[in-house]
Amino acid sequence: MYGSYRLSNLDISVRDLRLWVEKGGLYRYRRKLGNSEIEKIFLSDQEVILNPVEPVNLPRSITNYLFIQFSKPLLVEPASSVEIYLTFPIEVGVFVVKGDVLDEIDVFSFVNPKYALYGEPRGGVIARFWQSEIFSNPPNVDFLENGVMRLKIQNVSDSWCEVTKVVFDVFAMKIYYSDEIVSSIAEMKIQSRRIAETSFLDKPMFEGMKKAIELYTARRIPILATKFTMEWGI
Amino acid sequence: MIEEILTFVMQIVDLPLYGDVKVRDLVFAVTVIIIASVIAKFVAMSLRRSFADKMRKDQLELLVKVSYALIIILAFVSVTPVLGVNLTGLLVAGGILGVAIGFASQRVVSNFLSGIFLLAERPIKIGDQIVVDNVSGIVEDMSIMSTIVRTFDGLYVRIPNERVFSSNITNPVANVARRFEYVVQISYSDDAKKAIEIIRNVIERHPFALKIPPPQVFVDSFGESGVNIIARIWAPSKIWLEVKTSLLWEIKVELEKNGIEIPFPQRVIWFGKTRST
Repeated sequence: MYGSYRLSNLDISVRDLRLWVEKGGLYRYRRKLGNSEIEKIFLSDQEVILNPVEPVNLPRSITNYLFIQFSKPLLVEPASSVEIYLTFPIEVGVFVVKGDVLDEIDVFSFVNPKYALYGEPRGGVIARFWQSEIFSNPPNVDFLENGVMRLKIQNVSDSWCEVTKVVFDVFAMKIYYSDEIVSSIAEMKIQSRRIAETSFLDKPMFEGMKKAIELYTARRIPILATKFTMEWGI
Repeated sequence: MIEEILTFVMQIVDLPLYGDVKVRDLVFAVTVIIIASVIAKFVAMSLRRSFADKMRKDQLELLVKVSYALIIILAFVSVTPVLGVNLTGLLVAGGILGVAIGFASQRVVSNFLSGIFLLAERPIKIGDQIVVDNVSGIVEDMSIMSTIVRTFDGLYVRIPNERVFSSNITNPVANVARRFEYVVQISYSDDAKKAIEIIRNVIERHPFALKIPPPQVFVDSFGESGVNIIARIWAPSKIWLEVKTSLLWEIKVELEKNGIEIPFPQRVIWFGKTRST
């Protein structure tokens, strides 16, 4: 489903998603998924790209943070580094492209969104909530619903740390995709039992994966910070 | 003819005004101020265009106002020597004048100082929903003298900063999340446990009913007509009203779908005697 299409050839039916274009002088982009429906009109045939985007846009964008809660706490020994795999929710962005200029026209998802508060009401952040199992190898997941995240956890403190969650600023999230998997690579540097710093790395998990167009690039939003400090517990 | 006009103009601009200052100096100063205000307006417009979708509205307005004021002040300071004004003397005179104005117009100065404190403390910002001095609405603008509020029914209200500063300010969106509460009454004959589970499921399905802090749903009291169940839910402050209004109806529909009755007020009446026939 992910990839580049001409509007005139766009016709996708996957599960209860129907995405098509009605022609007849104008090009009517139409999409139906569950109760959500959208229609946009183009004057001429254009190139459109479908790819996974930062999962913080549905039902509408109110935050730029992603909160992944581990199903079970993970204990990390002092002065050590460990690599685990998590899942993250996928939202699919539809972009229209003209030369170097692109713009988002639609975002949809097969996953129901849920939000949570990380921290205290004063000073904390609202974040897209997701619960994930912890895996030691890349899990086999439905690539339309879940992405796979490789998380390198580095404990630079001198104490055992119990990690129950990780929170990211998705402004700097880098997503890669192939026909089988959607992936992202991230780091978590534990400073103390309550504080950690998280960031994303810009590289694919496997050779040959394509880099997804980021919504924040399409929206031309300047990225001010690429790291997030988890100061309300880990 | 043209030469005569030019000579006449030159004579006028060379006329002395006071001290060494001539008309030409005044013209120069006015021209500089006009050009500076045009530049300041252009800069303000450019800043608004460039950063409209990249900065928060209140921060952008502050940046625009500071840039505008800086350009005007710079222009003013640069022309004062041409007009023969000694800035040191002006500052001393300004100090004395300030005290005099302060006594003469306490309200104005009070509003001005309150405006500065409000900008520094920032208890509210443009776009916030606030309740201040019995006025509730959305902050449209914050200037040095007053705060402009658009009430929820669309009225324009200008509140002097002194009143904003000295009143209790309630800002429902200052924190990122806030809690709201419903009291749902079910009939005594219905299963409260089942009702709680249904309410929990409806809350769980709503994307913006926050997962953390977790919602609380519990039997609170026994009312006159039914059992009172309280549901406490946290939502993002920006959209809490939208969540509150949409969830309540969903709860009602779901309870009824599952055969749980939301009772009308009712009273059981016992008659002491039945009439014999």
